[in-house]
Amino acid sequence: MATTVGQPAEHDIGLSRLRHDPYPAYRYLREHDPVARVPEAGRYLVTRHADIMHVERHPEIFLSSENPSLMTRSIGETLLRQDGAAHQRLRRAAEPPLRPRVVKEHWLPVFRRNTADLLSVLAERGEGDLFADFAGPIAARNLAALLGLRGVGDEDMRQWSQAIIDAAGNYGEDPEIWARCARAVADLDAAMDEILPVLRRDPDPSVVSAMLHADDPLTEDEIRTNIRVFLGGGLNEPRDSIATATYALLTHDEQRRDVEAEPALWKRVFEEAVRWVSPIGMYPRRVATHTDLAGRVLEPGDKLGIVIASGNHDERVFDRPERFDIHRAETGHIAFGGGPHFCLGTWVSRAAVAQIALPGLFGALPGLRLTDEAVPFEGWVFRGPLRLGATWNS
Amino acid sequence: MPKVTYAQPDGTETVLDLVPGTTVMRGAVTGGVRGIVAECGGNLMCATCHVYVDLDEATPAPFSPVTPDEDELLDCTATPREAGSRLSCQLGLTDRTADIVVRVPESQT
Ligand code: FES
Repeated sequence: MATTVGQPAEHDIGLSRLRHDPYPAYRYLREHDPVARVPEAGRYLVTRHADIMHVERHPEIFLSSENPSLMTRSIGETLLRQDGAAHQRLRRAAEPPLRPRVVKEHWLPVFRRNTADLLSVLAERGEGDLFADFAGPIAARNLAALLGLRGVGDEDMRQWSQAIIDAAGNYGEDPEIWARCARAVADLDAAMDEILPVLRRDPDPSVVSAMLHADDPLTEDEIRTNIRVFLGGGLNEPRDSIATATYALLTHDEQRRDVEAEPALWKRVFEEAVRWVSPIGMYPRRVATHTDLAGRVLEPGDKLGIVIASGNHDERVFDRPERFDIHRAETGHIAFGGGPHFCLGTWVSRAAVAQIALPGLFGALPGLRLTDEAVPFEGWVFRGPLRLGATWNS
Repeated sequence: MPKVTYAQPDGTETVLDLVPGTTVMRGAVTGGVRGIVAECGGNLMCATCHVYVDLDEATPAPFSPVTPDEDELLDCTATPREAGSRLSCQLGLTDRTADIVVRVPESQT
């Protein structure tokens, strides 16, 4: 294990503090201890933008595979925790429906329809929780379509996704969390039983279909396992980016007017929102060989937490990073990660959120404003608003 | 060794002698050339390694042609696509690659 010689020992950064608001702690770590041992997390947290880029550019030194990992234990060995050729093979099979051309030609109209359906119901109500009534359901519905799941409701998607995420973070070994995850996996498997034979016969542009019909096709077991990770990871990122961007615009009047006058700015609203409060704040890596990172000596087996939420607030890259500013000149946020594990959903989320969900929401609900005095945000591994009470003219 | 000149929008240039087997992207990233972000590390997913390769008609093409996957990503670059637009992670260098100038765009994201 590496030692902390020469590093300030005064910080006591615990998980409950990070969950509540990690940004002050990250600022401290970037300044004083950029590869910090955080015992409660069981990892070194890597908090500077440049060091994170270095990690992502050297996947041969900083591995994604981790065994045992809570995620592998709860849902099986997925592409998120593999490296090299094994990862590449799974990724290649899943990727075609998520590339820009298919997104544009096939998925945009689907996202548009899903968004319009939800908003037509919401518009008449005049009030609601934009997190629970819009951001969550639209993310669930779009994801079900993308994966190829049929007849699965928004609420089932939400529960399964949450159960899988909770299990992957079940550091406290809560048996109830394991049980809930097992039930979600069983329910999802049942839904997969229905679509696998259908998609084998009749291919469509969905991810499951792509995996079945890839040049190097995946086995049904591999497909089941990897769909679990897409369900765990593919729902809360679009949900939280929609909720965060909505909150940001509803609390920054001038920028809201700018984007309503100039719709090309929706793209910047989305990119700035995921920089400002990154939906995935941290992901794990494991050190393969003796190496040095920002002066910290690391040994094989050392565990790292790559804190992209912190990299996205690094004052070495971003001017006044705590400000939400769609007009900022600096680019280069790392909310989608990097390297071979660069977010598979990047193009899909740009289309679903920036092109459809956000402009749709502000267009369909005139006079939209927040009713919550203080919108609560939570989380550091994943982070976003917990609710978003609002009213509008119906 | 092939010599690659990276020309920045502000007129500054970086000239690198690169080893055969690498790519124009990898050379830039390793050599610390500004403006080549290459988020996905050469996996043809991000379009943040965009460069312009300006050739006159007489010059033989130094690189293999654009594949369909590269083509669709070239429609998603931050600065407008031009005739010479390429993703630098797809520009492999061999010991026969002639010296070349690539223009780095204004932005990648
Ligand atoms: S590095 Fe991502 S497409 Fe070239």
